[in-house]
Amino acid sequence: MSGVSTAAYVARRAAQKERVRILYRRALKDTLNWAVHRHLFYQDASDLREKFDANKHVEDIDTIDRMIAEGEATHNKWRHPDPYIVPWAPGGSKFTRNPTPPAGIEIVYDYGREDND
Amino acid sequence: MALRAAVLRHIRVPVGTLTATGPKPLQWSLCSSLRFFSSHDDHLTKEEVIERVLSIVKSFPKVDPAQVTPDVHFQKDLGLDSLDNVEIVMALEEEFKLEIPDKEADKIDSCHLAIEYIYNHPLAG
Repeated sequence: MSGVSTAAYVARRAAQKERVRILYRRALKDTLNWAVHRHLFYQDASDLREKFDANKHVEDIDTIDRMIAEGEATHNKWRHPDPYIVPWAPGGSKFTRNPTPPAGIEIVYDYGREDND
Repeated sequence: MALRAAVLRHIRVPVGTLTATGPKPLQWSLCSSLRFFSSHDDHLTKEEVIERVLSIVKSFPKVDPAQVTPDVHFQKDLGLDSLDNVEIVMALEEEFKLEIPDKEADKIDSCHLAIEYIYNHPLAG
Protein backbone atom coordinates (compact mmCIF):
# COMPACT_ATOMS: atom_id res chain seq x y z
CA MET A 1 0.00 0.00 0.00
CA SER A 2 2.78 2.35 0.91
CA GLY A 3 4.49 1.37 -2.33
CA VAL A 4 1.45 2.51 -4.26
CA SER A 5 1.24 5.79 -2.40
CA THR A 6 4.96 6.38 -2.87
CA ALA A 7 4.61 5.75 -6.59
CA ALA A 8 1.67 8.13 -6.71
CA TYR A 9 3.69 10.73 -4.83
CA VAL A 10 6.64 10.38 -7.20
CA ALA A 11 4.37 10.62 -10.23
CA ARG A 12 2.69 13.71 -8.87
CA ARG A 13 6.04 15.33 -8.11
CA ALA A 14 7.28 14.56 -11.62
CA ALA A 15 4.16 16.12 -13.10
CA GLN A 16 4.66 19.18 -10.93
CA LYS A 17 8.28 19.51 -12.01
CA GLU A 18 7.27 19.34 -15.64
CA ARG A 19 4.59 21.98 -15.09
CA VAL A 20 7.15 24.26 -13.46
CA ARG A 21 9.64 23.78 -16.29
CA ILE A 22 7.04 24.56 -18.93
CA LEU A 23 5.74 27.51 -16.95
CA TYR A 24 9.27 28.87 -16.64
CA ARG A 25 9.84 28.36 -20.34
CA ARG A 26 6.70 30.20 -21.32
CA ALA A 27 7.34 32.96 -18.82
CA LEU A 28 10.89 33.39 -20.07
CA LYS A 29 9.73 33.65 -23.65
CA ASP A 30 7.10 36.12 -22.62
CA THR A 31 9.71 38.17 -20.79
CA LEU A 32 11.61 38.40 -24.06
CA ASN A 33 8.41 39.49 -25.79
CA TRP A 34 7.79 42.26 -23.31
CA ALA A 35 11.37 43.52 -23.21
CA VAL A 36 11.99 45.93 -26.04
CA HIS A 37 15.76 45.58 -25.81
CA ARG A 38 18.12 42.78 -24.96
CA HIS A 39 19.74 44.61 -22.08
CA LEU A 40 16.31 45.07 -20.51
CA PHE A 41 15.54 41.40 -21.00
CA TYR A 42 18.59 40.29 -19.04
CA GLN A 43 17.47 42.12 -15.91
CA ASP A 44 13.87 40.90 -16.30
CA ALA A 45 14.97 37.32 -16.84
CA SER A 46 17.15 37.48 -13.77
CA ASP A 47 14.19 38.77 -11.74
CA LEU A 48 12.01 35.97 -13.07
CA ARG A 49 14.61 33.42 -12.13
CA GLU A 50 14.77 34.83 -8.62
CA LYS A 51 11.01 34.48 -8.29
CA PHE A 52 11.26 30.80 -9.19
CA ASP A 53 14.31 30.19 -7.04
CA ALA A 54 12.67 31.78 -4.00
CA ASN A 55 10.28 28.80 -3.72
CA LYS A 56 12.82 26.18 -4.66
CA HIS A 57 12.76 24.37 -1.31
CA VAL A 58 9.03 24.17 -0.74
CA GLU A 59 8.21 20.57 0.20
CA ASP A 60 4.46 20.49 0.83
CA ILE A 61 2.86 19.04 -2.27
CA ASP A 62 -0.42 20.92 -2.00
CA THR A 63 1.35 24.21 -1.46
CA ILE A 64 3.36 23.54 -4.61
CA ASP A 65 0.20 22.87 -6.57
CA ARG A 66 -1.32 26.11 -5.34
CA MET A 67 1.83 28.05 -6.19
CA ILE A 68 1.99 26.61 -9.70
CA ALA A 69 -1.65 27.50 -10.25
CA GLU A 70 -0.97 31.03 -9.06
CA GLY A 71 2.02 31.31 -11.34
CA GLU A 72 0.09 30.07 -14.34
CA ALA A 73 -2.74 32.49 -13.59
CA THR A 74 -0.28 35.38 -13.35
CA HIS A 75 1.38 34.31 -16.57
CA ASN A 76 -1.96 34.11 -18.36
CA LYS A 77 -2.93 37.52 -17.11
CA TRP A 78 0.27 39.17 -18.36
CA ARG A 79 0.70 37.23 -21.55
CA HIS A 80 1.89 39.29 -24.48
CA PRO A 81 -0.88 39.99 -27.01
CA ASP A 82 1.46 39.88 -30.00
CA PRO A 83 4.34 37.54 -29.19
CA TYR A 84 7.30 36.88 -31.44
CA ILE A 85 6.75 33.77 -33.53
CA VAL A 86 9.45 32.20 -35.66
CA PRO A 87 8.45 32.98 -39.28
CA TRP A 88 7.80 29.43 -40.48
CA ALA A 89 5.88 28.37 -37.35
CA PRO A 90 2.06 28.51 -37.19
CA GLY A 91 1.13 32.15 -36.78
CA GLY A 92 4.46 33.35 -38.14
CA SER A 93 4.82 35.68 -41.09
CA LYS A 94 6.07 32.97 -43.48
CA PHE A 95 3.63 30.28 -42.38
CA THR A 96 2.09 28.55 -45.45
CA ARG A 97 3.66 31.20 -47.70
CA ASN A 98 5.12 28.77 -50.21
CA PRO A 99 7.49 29.80 -52.98
CA THR A 100 6.23 29.58 -56.53
CA PRO A 101 6.93 26.20 -58.10
CA PRO A 102 9.95 26.07 -60.42
CA ALA A 103 9.42 26.68 -64.12
CA GLY A 104 8.50 23.56 -66.04
CA ILE A 105 6.14 22.23 -63.40
CA GLU A 106 2.57 22.68 -64.46
CA ILE A 107 -0.57 22.18 -62.43
CA VAL A 108 -3.46 20.77 -64.43
CA TYR A 109 -6.76 21.82 -62.97
CA ASP A 110 -9.02 19.09 -64.26
CA TYR A 111 -10.73 18.63 -60.93
CA GLY A 112 -10.31 14.87 -60.88
CA ARG A 113 -11.64 14.21 -64.34
CA GLU A 114 -9.75 11.70 -66.41
CA ASP A 115 -8.63 12.34 -69.98
CA ASN A 116 -10.70 9.56 -71.48
CA ASP A 117 -14.17 10.65 -70.44
CA MET B 1 81.36 24.05 -18.12
CA ALA B 2 84.50 24.64 -20.09
CA LEU B 3 83.46 22.01 -22.59
CA ARG B 4 80.02 23.56 -22.93
CA ALA B 5 81.49 26.99 -23.51
CA ALA B 6 83.93 25.58 -26.07
CA VAL B 7 81.14 23.85 -27.95
CA LEU B 8 78.85 26.85 -27.88
CA ARG B 9 81.62 29.10 -29.18
CA HIS B 10 81.84 27.12 -32.43
CA ILE B 11 78.18 26.41 -33.02
CA ARG B 12 76.06 28.79 -34.99
CA VAL B 13 72.37 28.24 -34.89
CA PRO B 14 70.65 29.51 -38.00
CA VAL B 15 68.10 32.16 -37.25
CA GLY B 16 65.70 31.41 -40.05
CA THR B 17 64.05 28.31 -38.58
CA LEU B 18 60.63 29.89 -38.62
CA THR B 19 60.78 30.63 -42.31
CA ALA B 20 61.63 26.99 -43.02
CA THR B 21 58.06 25.96 -42.19
CA GLY B 22 56.80 28.78 -44.35
CA PRO B 23 53.83 30.99 -43.67
CA LYS B 24 50.74 29.20 -42.47
CA PRO B 25 48.29 28.43 -45.24
CA LEU B 26 45.41 30.82 -45.07
CA GLN B 27 42.64 29.18 -43.09
CA TRP B 28 39.39 29.92 -44.85
CA SER B 29 37.51 29.79 -41.60
CA LEU B 30 35.01 32.35 -42.77
CA CYS B 31 32.99 29.60 -44.43
CA SER B 32 31.79 28.14 -41.17
CA SER B 33 30.64 31.46 -39.81
CA LEU B 34 29.14 32.82 -43.01
CA ARG B 35 25.43 32.20 -42.92
CA PHE B 36 22.48 33.50 -44.81
CA PHE B 37 20.04 34.66 -42.22
CA SER B 38 17.06 34.80 -44.53
CA SER B 39 17.35 31.37 -46.01
CA HIS B 40 16.08 28.04 -44.81
CA ASP B 41 17.17 26.27 -47.95
CA ASP B 42 20.61 25.17 -46.92
CA HIS B 43 20.73 22.12 -44.72
CA LEU B 44 23.18 22.26 -41.87
CA THR B 45 26.03 19.83 -41.70
CA LYS B 46 26.47 17.77 -38.58
CA GLU B 47 29.81 19.41 -37.80
CA GLU B 48 28.31 22.86 -37.98
CA VAL B 49 25.43 21.86 -35.71
CA ILE B 50 27.84 20.36 -33.17
CA GLU B 51 30.11 23.39 -33.25
CA ARG B 52 27.30 25.87 -32.75
CA VAL B 53 25.54 23.84 -30.06
CA LEU B 54 28.79 23.50 -28.14
CA SER B 55 29.53 27.19 -28.42
CA ILE B 56 26.07 27.96 -27.00
CA VAL B 57 26.54 25.60 -24.08
CA LYS B 58 30.04 26.86 -23.41
CA SER B 59 28.91 30.45 -23.28
CA PHE B 60 26.28 29.69 -20.64
CA PRO B 61 27.48 31.55 -17.53
CA LYS B 62 27.25 28.66 -15.06
CA VAL B 63 29.07 26.18 -17.27
CA ASP B 64 32.78 25.43 -17.19
CA PRO B 65 33.71 25.48 -20.90
CA ALA B 66 36.39 22.83 -20.44
CA GLN B 67 33.82 20.21 -19.47
CA VAL B 68 31.61 20.61 -22.52
CA THR B 69 31.72 17.71 -24.98
CA PRO B 70 29.20 16.63 -27.63
CA ASP B 71 27.65 14.01 -25.36
CA VAL B 72 27.53 15.83 -22.06
CA HIS B 73 24.37 15.75 -19.96
CA PHE B 74 23.33 19.20 -18.77
CA GLN B 75 22.14 18.31 -15.30
CA LYS B 76 24.19 15.21 -14.49
CA ASP B 77 27.55 16.30 -15.90
CA LEU B 78 27.51 20.08 -15.87
CA GLY B 79 25.80 20.54 -12.50
CA LEU B 80 22.95 22.66 -13.82
CA ASP B 81 19.38 22.55 -12.57
CA SER B 82 16.18 22.11 -14.55
CA LEU B 83 15.59 25.83 -15.02
CA ASP B 84 19.11 26.27 -16.44
CA ASN B 85 18.22 23.47 -18.81
CA VAL B 86 15.19 25.46 -19.94
CA GLU B 87 17.37 28.51 -20.51
CA ILE B 88 19.89 26.57 -22.59
CA VAL B 89 17.15 25.11 -24.76
CA MET B 90 15.73 28.58 -25.30
CA ALA B 91 19.17 29.86 -26.30
CA LEU B 92 19.46 26.98 -28.77
CA GLU B 93 16.07 27.86 -30.22
CA GLU B 94 17.18 31.42 -30.79
CA GLU B 95 20.49 30.36 -32.30
CA PHE B 96 18.91 28.00 -34.81
CA LYS B 97 15.75 30.02 -35.45
CA LEU B 98 13.60 27.18 -34.19
CA GLU B 99 10.28 27.00 -32.45
CA ILE B 100 10.31 23.81 -30.42
CA PRO B 101 7.01 22.71 -28.87
CA ASP B 102 7.05 22.85 -25.07
CA LYS B 103 6.74 19.13 -24.51
CA GLU B 104 9.58 18.35 -26.90
CA ALA B 105 11.82 21.08 -25.55
CA ASP B 106 11.27 19.63 -22.10
CA LYS B 107 12.80 16.35 -23.22
CA ILE B 108 16.05 17.88 -24.49
CA ASP B 109 18.41 17.44 -21.58
CA SER B 110 21.81 16.70 -23.10
CA CYS B 111 24.11 17.96 -25.81
CA HIS B 112 23.71 14.73 -27.73
CA LEU B 113 19.93 15.00 -27.81
CA ALA B 114 20.05 18.67 -28.75
CA ILE B 115 22.43 18.00 -31.62
CA GLU B 116 20.28 15.13 -32.90
CA TYR B 117 17.08 17.17 -32.65
CA ILE B 118 18.51 20.21 -34.39
CA TYR B 119 20.29 18.22 -37.07
CA ASN B 120 17.11 16.34 -37.93
CA HIS B 121 14.93 19.41 -37.90
CA PRO B 122 14.14 20.45 -41.47
CA LEU B 123 13.96 24.16 -40.70
CA ALA B 124 17.01 24.62 -38.50
CA GLY B 125 19.07 27.44 -39.92
